[in-house]
Amino acid sequence: MSETSAPADAARRRAFAEIVEPEIEVMLRVARSITGSTADAEDLVQESLVRAFRAIDRFDGRHPRAWLLTIVRNTNVNMHRRRRPIAVDDWELIHASRPAFGSVESPAAEEVYVADELDGALQVAISGLDPKFRSALVLVDVHDLSYAEAAAVLDVPVGTVMSRLSRARERVRRALGPTFTTTRGEQS
Amino acid sequence: MSGALRQMITCHWTARRIQRYLDADPAAPLTPGEVTRLEEHLATCARCSEVMRQHRLLHRALSLWSGRRPVDQASVDRMRAVLDDLVDGHQR
Repeated sequence: MSETSAPADAARRRAFAEIVEPEIEVMLRVARSITGSTADAEDLVQESLVRAFRAIDRFDGRHPRAWLLTIVRNTNVNMHRRRRPIAVDDWELIHASRPAFGSVESPAAEEVYVADELDGALQVAISGLDPKFRSALVLVDVHDLSYAEAAAVLDVPVGTVMSRLSRARERVRRALGPTFTTTRGEQS
Repeated sequence: MSGALRQMITCHWTARRIQRYLDADPAAPLTPGEVTRLEEHLATCARCSEVMRQHRLLHRALSLWSGRRPVDQASVDRMRAVLDDLVDGHQR
C-alpha cells in the first residue's frame, strides 16, 4: 500500500479484510480446480492474497470476486511461468474427490435421486467435452460463478463464456437425452 | 405467415434465450418484453418447455456435485489466518 496516515492505513486494511474474507472459500475452490490439489490451492491463494493486498489501491471497489479471481489466475500463470489456457476442473478430478455418500449434509431424497440417476451419464458427457467448453460449464454450473467471474478466471470476454457455456450445456443435454426422458416428472 | 412457420421462428427465438432466462446473470439480462414473450411461448410449446425442463434438471444435477465437495474448513481457516496476518502487518 502507498504511504498514508495511520488511521487511513488502518481503514484500508480493514476494508481489504472485509472485501476478501467472504471470497476466500470460492478462491480456494477455483484454485483447487486450477491446480488439482488442496496443498497447491492453498499456496496459490496465499500468494494471491499477498498480491491483492499490494494492489488494493488499484481496486475500484466493484466486483470484488471477479477482481480476486483475476489475481488468482494471473498469480497461477506467474507462479508456473508458463502461459496456457486454463482447463479448469477435469471432470475426473471432480469425480475422484467426491466424498463418500452421507459424509456431508444430506440433500433431499429427491435430489439424491436426480443426481444418482444422472451421475454416470453426466460424467461421460462432460468428460467428452472440449476442455474450453468444460471449463465454462464447471465454473458456472458447478462452482456457481457468474458469467463475469468465469470470464475473469478464463481471461476471455463475457460473450465467449456465454457462447462456450451454451454449447457445453447443449451438448450435455443432448447426450443425456434418454436419461432425461426417464427422469421426467421426478423433479419438483 | 403461416401459424407453423411463426411457431418455428418463435421456437428458434426462444432456444437462443432459454439459458439467459434460467441464469438471470446480471451481465446478460433479458428485457421484460423478452421475458414475457418467452414465458408465453413456453406455456404453449411442449417442445420448448421440455428443453427448459432438461436445462433445469442438468443445472440441478451439476449443483449437487458442488454441494458434495465443500472446501476443507481447515484450508479456509488457514487462509483466514494468512489474511489476518496481512491486515495486521505481520506478513511481507
